[in-house]
Amino acid sequence: MAKRPPIENRVRELRNAHGGMTQLELADAIGVTRQTVIAIEQNRYSPTLESAFRIAHVFGVGLDEVFSWSEDSD
Amino acid sequence: MAFREKSAWVMAITLLIGAIVYFYLVASADWPIVAKLPAFVVYTAVLIALATIGHIAIAVFSPKEANASADEREKQIAHRASHIASYVLGAGVLLGILIYLVVPLGDVLFYVVFASLMLSHLADYVAQIVLYRS
Repeated sequence: MAKRPPIENRVRELRNAHGGMTQLELADAIGVTRQTVIAIEQNRYSPTLESAFRIAHVFGVGLDEVFSWSEDSD
Repeated sequence: MAFREKSAWVMAITLLIGAIVYFYLVASADWPIVAKLPAFVVYTAVLIALATIGHIAIAVFSPKEANASADEREKQIAHRASHIASYVLGAGVLLGILIYLVVPLGDVLFYVVFASLMLSHLADYVAQIVLYRS
């Protein structure tokens, strides 16, 4: 929230690669609100491990293909 | 805007109005001030009615979100906001105790503690709004 988490993600990119999946569709698929998906995409919120796995599962990729550690924040 | 953020706005505005009315009434009352149960009941009932009307109004426009349970981010925000509000309540109660040591009037203690309770809830909802938007 206030302090940006040191984790980057490719959620928006993966949504677009999956036929332009909407934020609402992804939110419904992983059980959060659309605003939470927006916060994740804008790197204002780091999802729980369970939600991170759910996101990766929806896109059919590994966790490390969605999320990565931001070296700048080290 | 998420339903819970709208809800926080409704509660913050309701409590802000309530706080303004409360402090105006307390400041303009004759001293020594006396705690009155009927006034307390009416005041609380009006606040509950305002909050209920506000929530019905926002739920009409987003019924699906209104019925959904809080997600992980919303729970985290609520938890952090409650933590912040607990300091406001604690400070207010401590102030009430200190005032009581100087002015040992139970009615004054009642009004200080009630104000602390109201301000802590206001701080809770303001903190939620800030956290939702940051």
